[in-house]
Amino acid sequence: MPVVCSSTGAGHMTDELRLEALPPSDDDTRGSSRAEFVARAVVAGGTLAAGGALVAALPRLAASAPSPAQDQKILNFALQLEYLEAGFYAEAFAKRTLSAELLEYVSTVRHHERAHVAFIKGVLGRNASKEPEFDFGDATSDPNEFTAAAIALEETVIAAYNGQAANLTKGTLAKAATIVSVEARHAGWIRAIAGRDPAPDATDQPKTPGEVQAYINRTGFVRSR
Amino acid sequence: MSDLTLGELDRDGALREAVEQVSGETRAAFLGKAVVGGAALLGALAAPAAGKAAAASDVAILNYALTLEYLQSAFYTETERLGAVGGELRRVPRQLGAVERAHVTALKDALGRAAVKRPAFNFRGVTEDNAKFLKTAVAFEDLGAAAYKAQAARIKSPALLAAAISIHSVEARHAAWMRFLAGVTPAAAAFDEGKPVSEVRAIVASTHFVVARPKRKSSKNPKYTG
Repeated sequence: MPVVCSSTGAGHMTDELRLEALPPSDDDTRGSSRAEFVARAVVAGGTLAAGGALVAALPRLAASAPSPAQDQKILNFALQLEYLEAGFYAEAFAKRTLSAELLEYVSTVRHHERAHVAFIKGVLGRNASKEPEFDFGDATSDPNEFTAAAIALEETVIAAYNGQAANLTKGTLAKAATIVSVEARHAGWIRAIAGRDPAPDATDQPKTPGEVQAYINRTGFVRSR
Repeated sequence: MSDLTLGELDRDGALREAVEQVSGETRAAFLGKAVVGGAALLGALAAPAAGKAAAASDVAILNYALTLEYLQSAFYTETERLGAVGGELRRVPRQLGAVERAHVTALKDALGRAAVKRPAFNFRGVTEDNAKFLKTAVAFEDLGAAAYKAQAARIKSPALLAAAISIHSVEARHAAWMRFLAGVTPAAAAFDEGKPVSEVRAIVASTHFVVARPKRKSSKNPKYTG
């Protein structure tokens, strides 16, 4: 049963939300296919460029006081994820081996991810981290591998943004919120195409930067520099 | 795929048709009266006033979210109960109903005695027709995501923010799913903009789906003028 957070006390003016009563996922396929995907991914190899350092400096989940300096670290973390998504869809679009339905998805979503990269780079200016090199293998050409990877990427990015929401200053949070729901729309869309439940849970659980990093490492999509 | 906006829904969609069927009102009369029923009720959903105590503004936001979740959950629950929506939409009312009811339960638990009561609804036929149901579902889910988004940066409690943002993205998944089923693009733009309370209130009021004002459960609720 997912638990987002627990209230520290009862009372009608509580400012903490309890979500302990949410039902478990009734989508049995999601966990297993994601696990399969991760298991198939190459474990050795790349990390996000400067990823270890970025992640080490980030707060785990909602915990620390927001500041412009912290925003910058979180945005650089998000930028690495957006580079990854943008690169993934750009390559899938260039190869053009997917079905018409998948290519329609790709041709729309690639613009969104490029726009997210451009937006975050614009905010960070000279402090923007560089784009890593990628190796997506067959995940950008084989329909089954593509679909599994797209679902896992989109959902990892949702979890990453959700995990950092409370660590951002309010202005940056407002911007990030306009991005994360688009990632969620992508996740719902690609799952619908794949015939999988587009929204199997009542909440999108956050992931820590370490969990996100571990997933990205297991895909082998990011080459070492 | 073309985009589908709430404006288009309001202009030629199921909501107006349903209302006109029931009430015989013209569009002008319908819009003119919109302020009476729904908006009066949704006055309880005022935006948190600047300068209020953190807990009070967060409670106001939670009650705003709760009212929208009541609306969504009642819509899907009634559709499932009537059993007239089917075909490729067959799974939708049961599944989204379960999720939205879970959101209601969570928000009510969080608010305790400060929770607003469930309003009465009259969905005016849109829960019994595939096309009308789907148009309304698209509108509700886009609206839900936009409403949560606009409040995210106003929430003071980090724990509450984390919870609300984790619901927000689920509403966006729902919106994408309903749009996919409706044959309109699930993700129309690279950035999703939020909608302020006034806009959300006007859209909900225009549906006439909300037919009764909930009684306050606690005299300690913050007071609103909207």
